[in-house]
Amino acid sequence: MNEQIRVSHYGATFGKKTILKDLSFSLAGNQLTVVLGENGAGKTTLIKAILQAALVKSKGKPVQTIQVQAKRLAYVPQFRDLGADYPLSIQSFVGLGIRDHGLPWLTKKEKAAVSDALRRLDLAEIADLPLAKASGGQKQRAYIAQALAKKPDLLILDEPSSALDGKHAAFLVEQIRQVQQDFQMGVLWISHDTSWVRKTADSFLWLHDQTVTMGAAKDLPKEADSKHREEVLHVF
Amino acid sequence: MFSEAYMVNAFVAGTVIAVISALVGTFVVARSYNFLTHSLSEIAFAGAALGFWLGFAPLLGMVFLTATSALAIGSLENAKVKSDNVTSAISALAIGLGILFLALGHSAASSATGILFGSVLGISTSDLFLLFLMAFVVILLIFWLFRPLSLLAFDEAGLLQSERKKGLLRVAFLLIMALSVAISSQLVGSLLVFVLVTLPAASARMYQKSIAGLIGLAIFFALFGTWAGLTLAYLTNLPTSVFIALIEVALYLLSLSLAKVD
Repeated sequence: MNEQIRVSHYGATFGKKTILKDLSFSLAGNQLTVVLGENGAGKTTLIKAILQAALVKSKGKPVQTIQVQAKRLAYVPQFRDLGADYPLSIQSFVGLGIRDHGLPWLTKKEKAAVSDALRRLDLAEIADLPLAKASGGQKQRAYIAQALAKKPDLLILDEPSSALDGKHAAFLVEQIRQVQQDFQMGVLWISHDTSWVRKTADSFLWLHDQTVTMGAAKDLPKEADSKHREEVLHVF
Repeated sequence: MFSEAYMVNAFVAGTVIAVISALVGTFVVARSYNFLTHSLSEIAFAGAALGFWLGFAPLLGMVFLTATSALAIGSLENAKVKSDNVTSAISALAIGLGILFLALGHSAASSATGILFGSVLGISTSDLFLLFLMAFVVILLIFWLFRPLSLLAFDEAGLLQSERKKGLLRVAFLLIMALSVAISSQLVGSLLVFVLVTLPAASARMYQKSIAGLIGLAIFFALFGTWAGLTLAYLTNLPTSVFIALIEVALYLLSLSLAKVD
């Protein structure tokens, strides 16, 4: 098993409140893992800790609480505020993320990667549309395309389908699964919606009661199912 | 017009200044750092006054003080202090010091006017050399840092770097801004730095959808305003900055109204 993320005895507190306590787990690369849990269970906290661990190289230091093996990391945050007068087209926006160093212009190969990312997320036809004029769902797909354009070996998505309707959310799940297999990359997907997890994902990380339960996606316990739908129904 | 040496110098300087201001301005406007630009220009005023007082080139004083302030603002910003407040405090200090330096140096009112409103027609060949050197440094820095700067300015959320590297990048960006403010003060004066740094880049946003396009059109607008402004100043014997300001504002308002029509 090629291990991509190893967390050993990780804990997180906010003031006096303990969010996560003594978490230990490891995740293989090249699989789609869904991170589940109620609001406030510590999903985003854990993901941010993993991100920081991946970004800060720990050369020569003793064993870290979190170790991540990823040469190219991509992260799509839950919120992004780019403003109503954001000038760049979807294509230029996607091209921004391809690398964060080196020559100003994109090489032929990089341009092809941008086109590929646009095509995969069904944005090729509106590539010239200013991002500010795109719909909420199109924007969300553009954010993901930007992350994909750099062909990451670890992609972290923070509730990417929360702004999408059922049809588009299903499309996104399908696309990400396809890309994950084509690129042979690891995907960590924070999700509230558990409806697709058993059928499509490889494994799950369920954060609850300050701890974590993990396993194969098909074995996801019923208790981990999102209360989201109940909450929504309750409102109506 | 070009038979006069000072006009040739002014055109050469104006061209370099317009290109640098518009280039840096594209990033400044994208990151909504317009207010900070203005503060840096006030700091540039203090720097130039310091130069007059201590007897070295005002441009060097500008570079020194704006760069120091950029570092101070950058570290305070990284320490998560609200940046607008930091900038207000630093620019208030700068104007105060500027007035003090002018008084201490017994500088003539004309030198203060020169700093505040620009004095490109009086630019000498040695000033030009310094200007080229600074412009070269700015272009080199932007070429080297183009990709991370683009992310920082156009999509900070997409810039996946450790906090320490992000902090260094922010400081580098502020230094580039500081240099370009000092450079463009030479042409339009420190009071009107907005005119060349932010307006052409803001106008370009109405027409262009790629970073290269935004930079290209901003440079075109800045050059047009500068060349036309210098020509009109020569013909009318009025200050250059007046014309450049009027042209750039007109271009901006025109772009804005055209964008609204769409």
